[in-house]
Amino acid sequence: MSEARRIRLLQVASVLAVLAVWEASARAGWVDPLFVAPPSVVARAFGAIGGAALIALGDTLAKTAVAYTLAVGLGVPAGLMIGSVRAVHDVVHPFVVALYGIPKILVLPWIVLLLGFGTAPAVAYGAIHGLFPILVLVIGGVRDVDPALITVARSYGARPWQIYWKVILPASVPSVLASLRLGIVFCLLGVLIVEMFAGVRGMGHVLNALANGFQAAQLFAATALVSAASIGFVLALDALNEKLSHWRG
Amino acid sequence: MTTSAFRLAILSGVLALWEIAARAGNPLLYVPPSAVLPSLVNLVALRSYPDLLEHVLLTAREIAVAYALAVAGGVGVGCALGGHRVLGRAYAPMLAALYAVPAVVWYPSLMLFFGLDAASKIAFGFLLGFFPITLAVLAGTRQVNPHLVTVARSFGASPLAVFAKVLLPGMLFTLVGGLRTGLALAVIGVIVGEVLGAKAGMGTLINHAYGLFRTADYVALVLVTLVLIVTSDVLASLVERRARRWTT
Amino acid sequence: MTVADAELIRIDGVAKRYRTASGVVDALGDVSLAVPEGQFCTIIGPSGCGKSTLLGMLAGLVGPDGGRVLIEGQPVTGPDPRRVATVFQDPGLFPWRTALENVEFGLELQGADRGRRRAVATELLGPLGLRGFAEKYPRELSGGMKQRVAIGRALAIDTKILLMDEPFGALDEQTRMLMGEWLLDIWRRTNKTVIFVTHSLHEALALSTRVVVMTARPGRIKSVLELPLGYPRAMESPELVTLRAKLWSEIRDESLRAMSES
Ligand SMILES: Nc1ncnc2c1ncn2[C@@H]1O[C@H](COP(=O)(O)OP(=O)(O)OP(=O)(O)O)[C@@H](O)[C@H]1O
Ligand SMILES: [Mg+2]
Repeated sequence: MSEARRIRLLQVASVLAVLAVWEASARAGWVDPLFVAPPSVVARAFGAIGGAALIALGDTLAKTAVAYTLAVGLGVPAGLMIGSVRAVHDVVHPFVVALYGIPKILVLPWIVLLLGFGTAPAVAYGAIHGLFPILVLVIGGVRDVDPALITVARSYGARPWQIYWKVILPASVPSVLASLRLGIVFCLLGVLIVEMFAGVRGMGHVLNALANGFQAAQLFAATALVSAASIGFVLALDALNEKLSHWRG
Repeated sequence: MTTSAFRLAILSGVLALWEIAARAGNPLLYVPPSAVLPSLVNLVALRSYPDLLEHVLLTAREIAVAYALAVAGGVGVGCALGGHRVLGRAYAPMLAALYAVPAVVWYPSLMLFFGLDAASKIAFGFLLGFFPITLAVLAGTRQVNPHLVTVARSFGASPLAVFAKVLLPGMLFTLVGGLRTGLALAVIGVIVGEVLGAKAGMGTLINHAYGLFRTADYVALVLVTLVLIVTSDVLASLVERRARRWTT
Repeated sequence: MTVADAELIRIDGVAKRYRTASGVVDALGDVSLAVPEGQFCTIIGPSGCGKSTLLGMLAGLVGPDGGRVLIEGQPVTGPDPRRVATVFQDPGLFPWRTALENVEFGLELQGADRGRRRAVATELLGPLGLRGFAEKYPRELSGGMKQRVAIGRALAIDTKILLMDEPFGALDEQTRMLMGEWLLDIWRRTNKTVIFVTHSLHEALALSTRVVVMTARPGRIKSVLELPLGYPRAMESPELVTLRAKLWSEIRDESLRAMSES
């Protein structure tokens, strides 16, 4: 058997084993089914939450899409600019790092206070969550461009804009893509937190309500649904990444 | 010189704008910086929240436990996956996929399972800290040049010696970076947990102050929490610098 | 033709001091050199003596601290890809461009249309031994292949002056000798002026019309050896064996000095 097959087998077997142990311990009463629903019940719960959960997921994803567009539209160009203009970088970078480091959860109450309940705070908070990792990664990517390549381009007579266009931008593609990948997870995270904290709709609100209602099976099903959506997005971005930075080893 | 002047200008500009905007606006929503100082004094003097210290200590304790668990789990799992090729190739991609899930989706389940006390915060802090540490250990073990292991073995190094003299120094750089990120995330996990639902701790106080529209107190509490966070990060960075000096 | 006319490159008392966080380095002392058109001028000297720095000045990438650098009588103020092409010590290929696209780079900057770029670059890949590798990315090429792509990139813009900083340094000896023959062939057909940096005595003696020996850092010109010989050169001839011994004795001292200093 090839190693790839063995590994695939091991992965499937482990997932099945975890599910089996989980199912068995729930049935045997080792864990309180009120808190941990067995997989078989969770599977059925997908049907129970069904359409309502999908609508909630759609709501969350729509907010995430707006937040993500804002974060990317602002973060990538700003990151490229800060990264490539030395003077701006020196002045601004400490602020970016500080704002990146501050847990955004601390400003969450304030944002909800300002923007109320509903869509606006979720979008704003999601965008803030995504913006800083994007900025930090893009700035880092631009700063890491091999200076030897810039020298080569200069020796061939490249003008500043040509250096930007033909060297800095293509060299930054991997870090921009990495920032897009990280950014979407962070935006979704931000939206979900607001929905949990002060939501009236959306998946975060649903998860919270299910937890407060001690509906473990539905809660697990809903959690799996959001997780699958997020993993799907990241895998799609990974595929795009693979395609656009095929020149890397 | 001019750089720091610009930085100072930006900082004071933001503060001034904030002050002006806050004075013009609704004082419930906007707190001018000048109003924060008295609140901060009241807070630190234990006048506005007499039990502040208990909350700080609770949060710090939750963080410490969550982080300790995350380090133990992360280093253990990371070494296991990094040291065993088949295990690594089977489980590392699964871990990476789980890492792509915004962690907060797990929190309601943890809250359901562990209740509203410290346990759910610790569990969430652990979860957040565990991933970066595991992935850093994994990356670290992969980053060590296998040729160096061969070289050490050819000089008769035992497996233990290979680990201590080749693997550990080789991955230390990545490892301490992961440990520091792990701490930052464990801290965030605990505080997010406290804000989203808890009975005590800094996050709860913040939530409470906001709920009562005590916005100046809210900002003061945020500042105190930031001090807690920055302290933990400074400690981590000292350890990190120490370790890096040791490696070079 | 007057002497000044024939002088393509004139280096006049240049010096270079690098200031870094860890202190100052006097890379280049007081260097003067005139190179007539059509020469194959090799610069040889111990590691760190400022050879790359000197080439950087000719390429318009490094500003001299003192003195001046003239090409065709005009001071060099910046890169001038219409007259000077450089092959760098580190190949410096753009990792996101294929071999062919890397070779096209200079023409692309000069606004040549796509068809011509392709044609010039494709034609160059053949003699560089890269015919089957046009669509490969740098990471898929061996060290020697990368260096050949870098040479192709410089040849593509067909300049009067070709600066080559240890272009064959990373190659095995056989490939190196073949590449030398190939370069010689191009040089003789095109009448380019080549400034060539190497650490190889063999290469210097087999290729050059003139060898410039530099001292240990801060680099100065220690001696100049004229080689008014034909090609191909019989390296075992008594004449070349004597020259080789002479060159080695010049370089040996400097290399020893450089090693004991560092
Ligand atoms: N950009 C720079 N900043 C600081 N020091 C530099 C810089 N470039 C070169 N140097 C220093 O100047 C000296 C000469 O460097 P240079 O690269 O010109 O030497 P070289 O003769 O080409 O050496 P090699 O044969 O090893 O390539 C060295 O000591 C080097 O460390
Ligand atoms: Mg050099």
